[in-house]
Amino acid sequence: MSEKVTESTSEKVLEKYPRHYQKVLKGNYAASEGAALCHATVIPAYPITPQTSIIEELSARVAANKLDATFINMDSEHSVFAAAMGAALTGERVFTATSGQGLFYAHELLHAIAHFRLPIVICNVGRPSIPWNIWSDQSDSISQRDTGWIQLYGESSQEVLDGIIQSYKISEELNLPVMMVLDAFYQSHTSENIWVPDADLVDEYLLPKKLNGSEIDVKNPKSFGGLVSPDNYGNFNHGYWKDVIKVEDLTNKIGEEFKEHFGRDYGAIEAVNINKGTKQILVTLSTITTTARGVIKSHPEVGLLKIRLFKPFPRKSIVELFSKVKVNKDKCKIITIDRNFLGDSEGALMQEMKRALYGERYKLQGIYAGLGGRDVPPTTIENIIETCKTNNDEIIWIDS
Amino acid sequence: MIEIRGHARGGQGMVTAFEILAKIFSKIGDFQVQSFPAFGVERTGAPIQAFLRVSKCPILNRSNIYNPHLVVVFDETLIEQVPVLNGLKKDGAILLNTNSKIENFKIDTNNAYTVPATKISLEKGLGTKALPIVNAAMIGAIIKILKVDIDIATQIISENVPSKPKQNAESAKIAAEKIKRSPKNTDNLIQFLDSDEVIEEEILEVENEKEQLPIMDFPSWNNPMSINKTGNWRVLTPKYEERPAPCTTNCPAGTDVRLFVKQTSEGNFYEAFDTIYKFNPFASTCGRVCPHFCQQNCNRIELDSGLNIGAIERFLGDQGIVRKFYAEPIKYTKNIAVIGAGPAGLTAALRLRQRGYEVTVFEALPYAGGMMRTGIPEFRLPQEILDKEIQAIEQQGVIIKLNSKVTVNDLEKDYDIIISAVGSHKSSKMKIPGEELSTDGIKFLREFKLETNNYSVVEGDEVAIIGGGNTAIDVARTTLRLGAKPTIYYRRSKNEMPAIPHEVEEAIDEGVQIKFLTTPVSYNKNGNGKIDITFIDMKLGEPDESGRKRPVKIEGSEKVMSVDKVFSAIGQSFDEYVFSGNNIAPKQGRIEFNSDKPVFCCGDMAWGGTVTEAIGSGNHVADEVYSYLRNIEYQEEQNPTNVVLPDDINYNYYLPTPRHDNPVVELKSFTGNFDEVVKGLTKEEVIEESQRCLHCGDCYSCGNCYNYCPDAAVHIDEQNRLRIDYDYCKGCGICFNECPCSAISLKMDEVENE
Ligand code: SF4
Ligand code: SF4
Ligand code: SF4
Repeated sequence: MSEKVTESTSEKVLEKYPRHYQKVLKGNYAASEGAALCHATVIPAYPITPQTSIIEELSARVAANKLDATFINMDSEHSVFAAAMGAALTGERVFTATSGQGLFYAHELLHAIAHFRLPIVICNVGRPSIPWNIWSDQSDSISQRDTGWIQLYGESSQEVLDGIIQSYKISEELNLPVMMVLDAFYQSHTSENIWVPDADLVDEYLLPKKLNGSEIDVKNPKSFGGLVSPDNYGNFNHGYWKDVIKVEDLTNKIGEEFKEHFGRDYGAIEAVNINKGTKQILVTLSTITTTARGVIKSHPEVGLLKIRLFKPFPRKSIVELFSKVKVNKDKCKIITIDRNFLGDSEGALMQEMKRALYGERYKLQGIYAGLGGRDVPPTTIENIIETCKTNNDEIIWIDS
Repeated sequence: MIEIRGHARGGQGMVTAFEILAKIFSKIGDFQVQSFPAFGVERTGAPIQAFLRVSKCPILNRSNIYNPHLVVVFDETLIEQVPVLNGLKKDGAILLNTNSKIENFKIDTNNAYTVPATKISLEKGLGTKALPIVNAAMIGAIIKILKVDIDIATQIISENVPSKPKQNAESAKIAAEKIKRSPKNTDNLIQFLDSDEVIEEEILEVENEKEQLPIMDFPSWNNPMSINKTGNWRVLTPKYEERPAPCTTNCPAGTDVRLFVKQTSEGNFYEAFDTIYKFNPFASTCGRVCPHFCQQNCNRIELDSGLNIGAIERFLGDQGIVRKFYAEPIKYTKNIAVIGAGPAGLTAALRLRQRGYEVTVFEALPYAGGMMRTGIPEFRLPQEILDKEIQAIEQQGVIIKLNSKVTVNDLEKDYDIIISAVGSHKSSKMKIPGEELSTDGIKFLREFKLETNNYSVVEGDEVAIIGGGNTAIDVARTTLRLGAKPTIYYRRSKNEMPAIPHEVEEAIDEGVQIKFLTTPVSYNKNGNGKIDITFIDMKLGEPDESGRKRPVKIEGSEKVMSVDKVFSAIGQSFDEYVFSGNNIAPKQGRIEFNSDKPVFCCGDMAWGGTVTEAIGSGNHVADEVYSYLRNIEYQEEQNPTNVVLPDDINYNYYLPTPRHDNPVVELKSFTGNFDEVVKGLTKEEVIEESQRCLHCGDCYSCGNCYNYCPDAAVHIDEQNRLRIDYDYCKGCGICFNECPCSAISLKMDEVENE
C-alpha cells in the first residue's frame, strides 16, 4: 500500500514542530519520503527484501506524477549502482536503496562511486549473508565500510527521514557518497509517529544540486575514469583523505544547522546519562539503542553512547566527550553491542572503539547480540548489564 | 502503554490492520504508536505475527511483544497450530475471529471476545473463502474493545485500505456491533491504554503443552527438509492437467495434431500416421491442399514462425498410405448408401464401414475423389497420390459405384440410410449481360484434368478470370501452363481474398496478374473474335454479413478491356438433382426430406468449402448415423475451452529455430509443365520440424517443475510419472510459471496426495 502525501487525517500541525505534519510511517516509507523531499532526480532500482518497499513507494510516486524523477528498473544491483554512477556523473541527484546480497553484489561499484567522488545517497536496510537470512543485521553495510562511503545509522523513522536530508547536504558539500542504514523489520517495517517537514521547509534548507564543472557534458567531451599512473595515484587518495577527515565535524555542524531549521537535534554521536559516576557505557547502533534507552532508565549507573556516524568513525567526538565528562577509566566499562559479525574476534563497534580510544586505557568489553534478526528485548539488555558486572571476558556472545 | 499481539496467516491483511490501528490511535489521542510484523520465510497462508504498542509516552522498546495485554487471532485454525496465548498478561484478553461460541475452544483464560469477522468480510466481498481478508472487521472489533470512536476509525480505514474502502469501512462497523464479550470476562484493557507508565503485570499461566514451541519455526541447516510440512501454507494448488492445443482444436477434421507431431518427433512415423488416419483418411492430400487451419494459430508463431504441420502431414501420409489396409468384418445388417465419392462422402463411408456396416458410395463421374479429383489441378495434387488414398478406403471394404448419378429417392428402397455428399460443383452466375460468353471455371478445371479439354486456350491468349477464391487461382495457373497470359479480377482487395494465401503468392510468382477492386458489368463480342469486358471500379464499404468489407461500385469508372477468354469463378452451389429437384436447404446431419428412409447430409453442400472441412463433416455425419442406428443419443461436439494461448506459453524456455519451408519449384516458364510445384521435406527435415513443437498443454518432461520447486515437492513416482507431494507443496506457483507449455494448472481447489 502506498502512502499518500497529503492524507487529510494526518495533517495535525502541533506547536512542537511548526511547518511539519504528523504521520505514522514505517522506516522504509520514511526513507522514500526523505528521497522525495530531497528531489532525487534519478532512481535506478532493483528489489530485495527488506528494502523493496522503499523503491516501490518511489516508483509509485513517479508513476503517479507526484515525483519528478527518472525511475529505472535495472536487472541487478550491480547495474543499479552502475546506473547511479552514470547519472551522478551527469550531475543528477541520485537515490536508491538495497540490502544484504544486493549491497555485496554492488561492492565493485561502491568503490568506484566513492573514488569518482560522486555525491550519491542510498539507503541500506541491513541483512546478513550466509547462513541465509533476511532479518536485521549490520554485517552487510559494515563489511562495506572500507569502500569510502560515509555511513549513518538511524534509530527511528524520524532519523531516517531527517538523515537523508542531512546526507545530501554532507554528500554534495564534500562530493562523497552517503549510505543511510536502517535495521530490517524492527525499523524498516515498523510504523511509528513521525514529523514530516513541509516540502518548502526542506527546499529552503537543501538547495538544488550545484554543478561543479566536472560533470559529463556532451558539448564538452572529456574522458572519465582513465588509467592513473603510479606517480599520481596517491594524490587522488590524498585528496580524498583531506575531505574524509572533515566528515565528522561537518556532520556535527550540519546537525546543528538542521536543528535551527527543523527543530530536531543531531550529531555524530549521542550520549545519554554519561558522567563521572557512570559504571557502564553501552555503545549501540540503530534500533537496539531505543530499547537500551528504556532499560537504562532503571539503571542510573549505566550510560548509553549511540553512534550515528559510523564511517568515518567519530573518534574526536567520543574522546572529547569522555574527557569532558571525566569518565572514570578505572571504574567504567565501555560495552559495545555488535549486531554484525566480520569473521574476526571483535565485532565492528568493538574494533572501532578500540581504535578510537587507542592509548587511553579504557576498559572495553564486546558483546555480540541480535545477529540475523535475533530479537534484543529489554531482558537481553538487562542480561548484558548484569553479566558485565562480574564477567570480564573481552568478548561475550550473550544469547549463545 | 498497551501491547497487542496478532496472529494470522499471510495474506489475511493483519499487517495492514495493525498499521491502520497505529494510525487510528495516533489520530485520536496523541498517542505514540509502534506497529510491525514478524515475518518468517513463508508466504500467503503461513502463520505470521504482528505487534502494536500504543502509549502516552515515548515507546522505548523495539522488540517483539512477549507479554501482550491483548492477543488477537485472525484465523481460528491457528489456535491448534500456534501457542497464541504464550505470555499473555493475567489481566489480558484474547479476541478470536470465529463464528462459533467461545466455549468450543479450549483456552486458558476467561477474558475472551469473539467476532465473526470471516463471515462479515465475505458478505462484504472481501477476499475469498480460501483466503478471506478480515483486516477491517478485526480493526472494528479491536477498537470496540478499546472504546475508540468508530466513525473516526472507519474514516481512517477507508483512507488506508488498498481497495474497496466502502466495504472495508462497513465491515469494521458491523464487527464493532457483532463482537461478543464472553460472560466471565473481567478484563479492563482500557486502563493500560490510559496509563502513562508501563504497568508491571503478572503473566497468565498456560497449561498448554504448546507453550514450549518457539513462536517462529524454521527448518534449520542439517535437518531434513521433510520436517517442514509446508503444505499447510498452500492456498492455490498446482496440478498436472493436460490442456487442448490450438493446432488440434483448429483442425476441422478433428485430428490430434499435437500428438502426431510428437510421435513424428520421436521417429514413430507409422504411429503418427495412425493418429492422423483415425480422423483423416486423406493425409497426403490434406498435407498438400489444406489451408492448414492447425498452423494458423500455432503458438510458435509468437516465437519465430509456426510449425510447418502441412509438410509433416504430407510426409506421414505419403509414408503411411502404401501399407496394406484390411476390411473389418460386417457386423450389422443395415446397409448404408452415400451419394458422392468426394472427401466427405468417402470419409463418412469409411467410418461407418470400419464400425461394421455395409456401405456403398454412388459417384456420378467415372472417377472417385470429388473436388479433390476435379477441382484441384495436377500441379497441386498429383493423381496417383489421390488414387492411393481412395484405394486404401476400398481395401477397407467401402464399395464405390462410378458413373452412377442417383437421387435419394432412387436409393430409398434398397438402403436403410442415405447420406448425401454431392458437394458444390455447379458454378454461380453473375447475372450480367453477355454472361454466356464466359466459361465456367470449375467445369474447365474438371474437363481439362479428366478429358484434357483445353477449351482452345492457346499460347499468347489474354485470359481474364473473375473471382478471388481457389478456383480462380487454379484456373489462372492452369491457363498459364497452357501458355496464356492470365489476369484475375477481384472485386475486393487482397485482404478479403478467400483463396489460400500461399497459393496466391505462388500464382503471382509464376506470373499471374491480379487486379483488385474491379468487377465486370457486361461482356460483348467485339467482332474480331475477342470479348470486350466492361469493368467498373469498386471501393470497400461497411462490412457485410460475412464480416468482409462490402464492395461498392464507383459510378462512372467504367472501362473496356479486350480478352481472348473470360472464365468465371465466383462461387459454386450444389446440384439439386440429388433431391429430385426438390427445393431443399441442406445442412449438416439429418435433414427433413420426404423419403421412407432417414436422409443425412455432409460435405461442401452442408458447410465448409475445403477438403479438410469436408472430412470433418464426414466424420460428424458418420457419428450421427451410427448413434441413430445404435439408438444412442448423438452429442454434438462442444467448442473446446481452456485452449493454450500464447500468453500461457513461457517462451523463455524455447530457442528460436528456423522453420523448414517446403521447397517451391521456380521456373522461367511453366508452359506445358504440370508437375507438382510444391515439394515435400526430407525425413530429417520432417523430424527437425516436428521437434520445433512447443507441446502446448502437454507435459514433455522438461523437468522444470522438478528442478524449480523450492520445497522439493515434485518427485518422480515408481511409474516414472511426475507427481506433486501436497504435504510439501506450498502453492508458490513457481512450477506453474516455469512450466514452458502450461501443462500445470494453479487453482483454488484442494487435492489429496494419491
Ligand atoms: S507448438 Fe505444437 S502443440 Fe503448439 S500449436 Fe504449434 S503444433 Fe500445436
Ligand atoms: S513449485 Fe513446488 S511448492 Fe511451488 S506450487 Fe509447484 S509443487 Fe508447489
Ligand atoms: S514443467 Fe516440464 S516436466 Fe513439468 S509439467 Fe511442465 S512440461 Fe512437464
